[in-house]
Amino acid sequence: MERLPAFELKRPASLAQAIEWLAATPEARAIAGGTDLVPNLRDGIGAPPVLVDLSRVPGFDVLEVRTAGARIGAGVTLARLASDAGVAAALPAVSAAAASIAGPGHRSVATVGGNLCVDTRCVYYNQSEWWRKSNGYCLKHRGDTCHVAPTGTRCHAAYQGDLAPALIACGASVELAGTRGTRTIALEDLYRDDGRAHLALEPGELVVAVVVPAQPRGAVSAYRKARARGAIDFPLAGVAVRLAIGAGGIAAIDVALTGTNSRPFRLAGTDAWVGRAVDDALLAEIGKAVQKQVSPMRTTVTQSNWRRQVASVEAQRLVRELAKASA
Amino acid sequence: MAKRVLSLVINGRLREEAVGDSTLLLDLLREQLGLTGTKRGCDGGECGACTVIVDGKPQLACLTLAARCEGAHVETVEALASGGRMSALQAAFHEKLGTQCGFCTPGMIMAAEALLRENPAPDEATIREALGGNLCRCTGYVKIIEAVQAAAGGAR
Amino acid sequence: MNPEAKRPPPAKSVGVRQPLVDGVEKVTGAARYTADLAPRGALVGAILRSPVAHARIRGVDTSRARAMPGVRAVVTGEDCAIAYGVIPIAQNEYPLARDRVRYCGEPVAAVAADDAATAQAALAAIELDLEPLPAYFDAKSARAEGAVPLHESKPGNLERAVEQTFGDVDGGFAKADLVREHAFHYAEVNHAMMEPNAAVAHWDAERGRLTLHSVTQVPYYVHLALARCLQLDESAIRVVKPFVGGGFGHRTETLNFEIVAGLLARAAGGTVRLELSREETFLTHRGRPETDVRLKIGLTKAGAITAVEAEVVQRGGAYAGYGLVTILYAGALLHAIYRVPASRYHGFRVYSNTPPNGAMRGHGSVDVRHAFETMLDTMAGELGLDPFAVRRANLIDAPHRTINDLQVNSCGLGECLDIVERRSGWSDRRGKLPRGRGLGMACSHYVSGSAKPVHWTGEPHAVINLKLDFDGGITVLTGASDIGQGSSTLISQAVAEVLHLPMSRLTVFANDSVVTPKDNGSYSSRVSFMVGNAAIRAADEMKRVLVAAAARRLEVSPDDIEWDGERCRVVGTDRELGYRDVVTEALRDAGTITVKGTWSTPPETQGGSFRGAAVGTSAGFSYAAEVVEVEVDEDTGMVRVLQVWVAHDCGRAINPLAVEGQVQGSVWMGMGQALCEETQYLDGLHVRANLLDYRMPTIVESPPIDTSIVEAPDPNGPFGAKEAGEGSLSAFLPALTNAIADAIGLRLDELPASPDRVLEAIVARRRAERVRRAAKPAVQEAD
Repeated sequence: MERLPAFELKRPASLAQAIEWLAATPEARAIAGGTDLVPNLRDGIGAPPVLVDLSRVPGFDVLEVRTAGARIGAGVTLARLASDAGVAAALPAVSAAAASIAGPGHRSVATVGGNLCVDTRCVYYNQSEWWRKSNGYCLKHRGDTCHVAPTGTRCHAAYQGDLAPALIACGASVELAGTRGTRTIALEDLYRDDGRAHLALEPGELVVAVVVPAQPRGAVSAYRKARARGAIDFPLAGVAVRLAIGAGGIAAIDVALTGTNSRPFRLAGTDAWVGRAVDDALLAEIGKAVQKQVSPMRTTVTQSNWRRQVASVEAQRLVRELAKASA
Repeated sequence: MAKRVLSLVINGRLREEAVGDSTLLLDLLREQLGLTGTKRGCDGGECGACTVIVDGKPQLACLTLAARCEGAHVETVEALASGGRMSALQAAFHEKLGTQCGFCTPGMIMAAEALLRENPAPDEATIREALGGNLCRCTGYVKIIEAVQAAAGGAR
Repeated sequence: MNPEAKRPPPAKSVGVRQPLVDGVEKVTGAARYTADLAPRGALVGAILRSPVAHARIRGVDTSRARAMPGVRAVVTGEDCAIAYGVIPIAQNEYPLARDRVRYCGEPVAAVAADDAATAQAALAAIELDLEPLPAYFDAKSARAEGAVPLHESKPGNLERAVEQTFGDVDGGFAKADLVREHAFHYAEVNHAMMEPNAAVAHWDAERGRLTLHSVTQVPYYVHLALARCLQLDESAIRVVKPFVGGGFGHRTETLNFEIVAGLLARAAGGTVRLELSREETFLTHRGRPETDVRLKIGLTKAGAITAVEAEVVQRGGAYAGYGLVTILYAGALLHAIYRVPASRYHGFRVYSNTPPNGAMRGHGSVDVRHAFETMLDTMAGELGLDPFAVRRANLIDAPHRTINDLQVNSCGLGECLDIVERRSGWSDRRGKLPRGRGLGMACSHYVSGSAKPVHWTGEPHAVINLKLDFDGGITVLTGASDIGQGSSTLISQAVAEVLHLPMSRLTVFANDSVVTPKDNGSYSSRVSFMVGNAAIRAADEMKRVLVAAAARRLEVSPDDIEWDGERCRVVGTDRELGYRDVVTEALRDAGTITVKGTWSTPPETQGGSFRGAAVGTSAGFSYAAEVVEVEVDEDTGMVRVLQVWVAHDCGRAINPLAVEGQVQGSVWMGMGQALCEETQYLDGLHVRANLLDYRMPTIVESPPIDTSIVEAPDPNGPFGAKEAGEGSLSAFLPALTNAIADAIGLRLDELPASPDRVLEAIVARRRAERVRRAAKPAVQEAD
């Protein structure tokens, strides 16, 4: 039974070839693990004439964790990332995030690059062609109205990748390669707060690797995702925290969130907490800051207010737990 | 749809098959090769019923492009029995009633098989984690866990 | 070789933990389900579904689709003008909509094409001309004055109103020491069996015969509906049920796609496979309806029930289906678990522009049981009684006839209570757990088959044929649909037990209408009880034939034969005859032997004579008690089930392994409804028609289920057995919410207890407490 629209699968043996093929066909899509792309194609979301398979691109599967930092190839599978002892030791938030994604059958093939570039999601979007057509399509695909906020002009589909917040909290950058060469940007700058076009990639541009700097002395990190079930589900809200405690209280704190906005993002204003002790007053402030900066919309079947509350709660809990662990 | 000749090893047997680029491994197995043990339970990656083992790893055949399996070793539930006799894991699912309607069973068994190859003596939490992507609607999972534990313990 | 070594194992089969007779096929991948059966070259069927929830059909233009190369058939509502439905007095559904569509996703047209891509292209080429009508997505708006009726004959969109009063209700409440009334709301849930819907239909044009393979639990009803809708003689149809991947009630009536497959095969003159997507399977629905319950209970100080009054409103979806049965069950099964001296029931089954509801595991009883057990819990608290004590104060002492004429001949609920109380450590632990942890308990029950069948034909309720041939093997021919619950295994065990033969002598052949005897199907937990009884009777008959043959050969009276399966002997002598010699003697002159066993429910179990009295009647009731331990996160609303203890009275566990499996599956399915499962519609479009958002629990968060079997033998049951596959579902829901109340003192009026609902309730309570605290001084001043 043909369940996918017809396309040509190209299997480049070099990065240059991959970029060339992607650039040559504007509608072409890159495929790595395929665990996000294929369900969307099955739902009739897009009909790319060409898929460019990244699995044979040399160097995509590099995974190096050194004292100077880590380099994680875009093609490293989530299963490998989750089970790597070096990652678990240096970047526990990243390890935990990888382990929490979908199920083992997905993680064995899904990649770091794919998870970072995972499409935004919405109850009006992740539906069959029949469903979306019956509903008049939506702003994200083929339509002109965002059913989540019909009076607005933007798409509110939520970014629900797990790795991004963990990596953002750990200060990661991404190496991108495209027709105009390579560039490295802060991971949070890969994203835009627009559900329809949430990736700041140029046509034909690819994520090649994630570069994580050496973690500050004494820093510990963790990731927690809120979801209804113990497996499979995307995060309804996800929080990553990296915390370093010094003699004078907090030496460094980074908080990043996913699942609540159209992009994963770094919580703003955390610098103000440096030097503070982790106590109830500080946790309340952290909770308030999260509540204020997340903006969950009705993109999931779970109420948006719950996602806001739980993002706040989990952020506070992670900070408390990490402070305790590093004390 | 343009087709290419794909050569891969399925259940230990070298196969050369003409497949379209957008053919799913699930459809290659079921429609082309008649290996209907691998089930379609959802519209893409939600239930685990199509779990097979590709190059030693559990993988969802409904999300896998067949054309990307060039040179791969694919194992389905049909591969586990030898000489018509159930494997220890299959026997445990049978004897402990880890299967009721049987529809999730092939995927469940393949996910468990992948686990046991990597970790022959998993604890209960590890078993739950490894089967987390495989839904079952009949058993409440209780006897599935018992079956995997029994197989791991060398019940046969 | 020592002949003793070749002796088969002892033949005793009942009470043995018996792996499924078809289990090897399931674990090896050899089992063939409907979608596995289509021959190569079969045409691919596909269904065009309504994009709107309610509309008049002005036109369906199929001309472009028909003209497409590779399209072999296109059918629409024009091709079937005869309505069908499982209840003979409530048939109002067409396989393809005619004149009107009444829910988003209702089939309007269908095509058969050479391949899936062509079929999809053909669907896209069909043009619908629809004139929208007002649509109603909840019972309240559907019942509102001025609402457009979905069906002309049903003003007010009321499919069925039930008013029943038994005993002196007002007097009962007047006698009570405590009367409470409360309202509850339950989301709609779906069976979500793992196998998506599928059918393979073959039309033999030369002979005018149709063969259908389908995923059904009720091949006989499908047979009838095909004959009716395709206007074929019933003998021109063959229905085969292959392996089926679960059902839980979804497949207890003929479903539209089964008839559509038949229509397509006939129109195309060939074989059509029709595989529905998971989304389409959800759209076929038939699940438990969205329900509102208002319940009033009166108790004495000692906890005895004095009267019960219930109002139940069910949003039934667009067509009748089992609807009137569901609304009657909700009232009838207020009874037969406790002594209820007086009751009044108001039931309203309402049409709505959502996919039709139907039967789902625990049919009709689940939501009402939650309300009932929740109120018993709160009222026990008010009376200072332990939750166990209030149940014990109302136990039925069998035999007992309820005031609504249900006949309870066995009840092991008391023992169930004792067991879960003990095993959960209830008396030591309850009330002593830290905040956030809690224990809750509840009870439930269910019928072992409806004592009055849906279709009254005058035939026995169940028939089994046994065929014995030259090889000494006995073929058990049954129409009972094994959908994973293990009925084929149970029937084998029953036959083996009576004949004292090893299971290896038996082969079950099931569900092929040209071979096997008619069976009403697998629903209302009727198979173990009814077909089990028929199997015993068939085996008794076979034994009589074999004993007579042995007696003939040994030249004694049959009364002198001591039958032991593989051998028999003349009583008090050492004159023996082996089984094969007995078979040879039995077949001499007679040839192949076929015997039959039948069974029907005793008249006294068939209920009263009031309108609707048939529903809820059963020849045997099962009982269950459960304790659930939870942990509630008050900051997130997440509820984690740590452990369940369940005890289920199944009369006699013919196959204890399968009983445990059924009970665990029931408890777990109850957990899904209680915690996280629900359907949801946005302007009539089902937003959770997938296995990500229809959140059935995964193995990760599913709890251990400590399972105990109680055997209070039923005088009518096969070897005393009663049902095991439904009765323990309902108790889970109230046991869970009672545990949440124990953990954090919060009572939810709405299910599922999804984290957002729980957190919302917690926040609302905090807000109310703040308001109360702030208001307190003012109140004191006013005093």
